[in-house]
Amino acid sequence: MATTTATVSISSDITDSTINVSNTAALHTAGTTTGLNTMTSVTKVLASTDQVDLITTGSVSTTHAYVYINNPSTDHTEYFNITIGNAGGGSATDVEEIGRLYGGDWMWFPWDVDDDICVTPSVSTDMTIEFQVFS
Amino acid sequence: MATTATITLTSADIAGDPVNVSKTATCTKAGATTDLDQTTGLNRVHLRSTTNKVLLAANAEGDNLAAKVYVINKATDPTLYLTITINAQTVGKLYAGDWMFIPWSQTDTSASIEVAATNWTASTGDIPVEYALFHEDTDFLTNA
Repeated sequence: MATTTATVSISSDITDSTINVSNTAALHTAGTTTGLNTMTSVTKVLASTDQVDLITTGSVSTTHAYVYINNPSTDHTEYFNITIGNAGGGSATDVEEIGRLYGGDWMWFPWDVDDDICVTPSVSTDMTIEFQVFS
Repeated sequence: MATTATITLTSADIAGDPVNVSKTATCTKAGATTDLDQTTGLNRVHLRSTTNKVLLAANAEGDNLAAKVYVINKATDPTLYLTITINAQTVGKLYAGDWMFIPWSQTDTSASIEVAATNWTASTGDIPVEYALFHEDTDFLTNA
């Protein structure tokens, strides 16, 4: 099995005493110390403000995965609305909004592969989105 | 007053070629280049509830404003996990050592971030959870 790690480093001087966080997670299959062995890496250019299924449950064969999504835009006003739910059913009301990923932002989270991960670009002028799924 | 978050993903063997991804985000207010200016600081709680508990209470005032959430499961038993939920929608399971960093929209007061120590038992011991919120709204209250 492969050895894959995800490291986070957060530094903030919002408070009087600086916050510094650094942690490294080894990516394992659910509840084990066995390394994951599958990775998907995709870059897409979206040219409308329609909601799209970015990562479907059918694309992963396990029930535990990790997702990295990056908005590489340098325009801080452009964002992707990131949602999770059953958008494949055609109803936007079926999805729960996680957050907005503005230009330059990234996100990393575990995914239980029960529902699709969907995105809605804020503008229709060719927004690029990058993602990786480890499972 | 900057807050930066860096992710580094590495693997020498999950693919034919090594994987090295590194990205740093400077956390700014929504649609702006102005730095976020508020935080809960880093918090630590011990979770022993198998049902959902509110980790961060959504504030409708935060809708459409920028907020970033960091959560880590500090347990050492690899079988112990936290179930992360937003408005009854399960996002995923944070197993021991796993962390997450996400934007958080707080679309309404139902969009609280909740956690459950789903497979906790009296014999497993508590699950230590550390978390932080970096945000911009002016009147945020957390139940931490």
